Amino acid sequence: MRHLLAILLSLLSPLALAHDMEHMAKAPELGASAAFDSHGRLWVVDAVGGHVRLRHSDDDGRSLSAPMPVNAQPERIYAEGENRPKLAFGPHDEIYVSWSQPRARPWTGFVRFARSLDGGAHFSAPITVHHDRAEITHRFDALAVDGKGRVVVAWIDKRDLLAAEAAKKPYLGAAVYYSWSDDGGATFVPERKLVDQSCECCRIALATTPQGDVAAFFRNIYGDNIRDHAYAVLTTQGKTATATRATFSEWHIAGCPHHGPGLAIGADGTRHAVWYEAKTQPTIWYGQLDPGHVPHHRLAIATAGASHADVAVHGHDVWVAWNQVSASGYSLVLRHSTDGGAHFDPARNIAHSTAAVGSPQLLQKNGHVFVAWNTADGFRLIATEATP
Amino acid sequence: MKRLLAILLLLIPALASAAPLQALAATDVSSLLQPPAHGERIIALWSLDCAYCESNLEALATLQRAHPKSIELITVTTDDIRAQRPAIEARLRKMKMDTYPARAYAEASPERLNFLLDPNWGGETPRVLVIRADGSRSGISGALTPAQLQRIR
Repeated sequence: MRHLLAILLSLLSPLALAHDMEHMAKAPELGASAAFDSHGRLWVVDAVGGHVRLRHSDDDGRSLSAPMPVNAQPERIYAEGENRPKLAFGPHDEIYVSWSQPRARPWTGFVRFARSLDGGAHFSAPITVHHDRAEITHRFDALAVDGKGRVVVAWIDKRDLLAAEAAKKPYLGAAVYYSWSDDGGATFVPERKLVDQSCECCRIALATTPQGDVAAFFRNIYGDNIRDHAYAVLTTQGKTATATRATFSEWHIAGCPHHGPGLAIGADGTRHAVWYEAKTQPTIWYGQLDPGHVPHHRLAIATAGASHADVAVHGHDVWVAWNQVSASGYSLVLRHSTDGGAHFDPARNIAHSTAAVGSPQLLQKNGHVFVAWNTADGFRLIATEATP
Repeated sequence: MKRLLAILLLLIPALASAAPLQALAATDVSSLLQPPAHGERIIALWSLDCAYCESNLEALATLQRAHPKSIELITVTTDDIRAQRPAIEARLRKMKMDTYPARAYAEASPERLNFLLDPNWGGETPRVLVIRADGSRSGISGALTPAQLQRIR
């Protein structure tokens, strides 16, 4: 009898263990973020074995330091698709890291945050950013630092969806909430709702305005599952933030695009944006946002096989980078404008990978432009020849 | 002890009847896309993160049960089987979809397999590919409307 029981238990044990192991894969997942600090040192965060790990490079990514665990205690971490650990710096190169932590049930998560005030030698114990502790979606975190050094975090939150369901009221998608820290990431203020009924599965893009505010560009829902984008300044003073429709592609989908936008704001305030829609065919668009109106200088940057674009601006130079897939693998493709986004040069392949790749990220250092590209073969920093 | 054994024995049929989850690699795509000998092959693409996918899979299973001889239903999740196998298997069981042939991507990011399966698909889920015996194909993104379901058959 005991023998039989042991066999039966051994058959079932993988099921019981399965749950805990989810999102604690031994191999690093592809969700990573990179950024240069004020001294030109490159920093990279990704996740492996239940730890967000931080590495740095003083030779533009050719070699990376030994990893430093951000969270000492392992926990589950979202680090694939539209979720990836985030990295930002304070005014004195404080290192801020956020990530989304899956909870036990599907589609649930907490937004986590940790900081290092000594150049990555030590990290604070992670804190949960939101004051709400319901076991629901608080995921797809986005992290930025405003002109006054406030640490701003925005995320997708399903508390209002659940309240609507309980009241038997219709509700599409999820809400966007945000919070900020006035004390360099030690504590976060109670979160504010930005908007109801936005897309529940696309990353939120954040950028800083010339006035020093953090602005968000994200996929929202209009009418019956029209998944266009909204723009909002995430106010941290008395005024309530308002989201205004900023793209008018009219893509209807009762589903998950898994495809969030990109945003870069020039010193002149021009809001350079990239976004994805597939109303007639998969298309990545570039445009300059004029919230409430159709974007200016709209251009279909790329079509079938193109995904996860990012945008950067420096003076009159604008760059768009994205992944272009083919049967042979992934190309990292760049388009460059020297007239503030009015016209773009033809697409140029700047790197190739036969292994799987994460979303590209455009980075700048002293006016030089790089693309951070995390591949299953390792992290790469690709220099573009552009020297504005 | 006897009670535990009884519970465990009750669980065995559930394990035995499940179609084992198989990996889908780039080299497997062309055979998956081969036209069926007759009727339709429905490839139901879903993902763990997609809250719309469960009801879509249920609707397709209902359609398949109404036409068991002509419709072949295969579920394919875009999540990486190497990282997510236990979670995928658990979700298939929870959705009662584990009796259908099930595949999961064997790639760390889904875009290449998305493109090979359907170059006109940007990865949004749910996505349904219908492959007919005459070789024609169609793709539908998002939760299927009753009218779209009708047109499949």
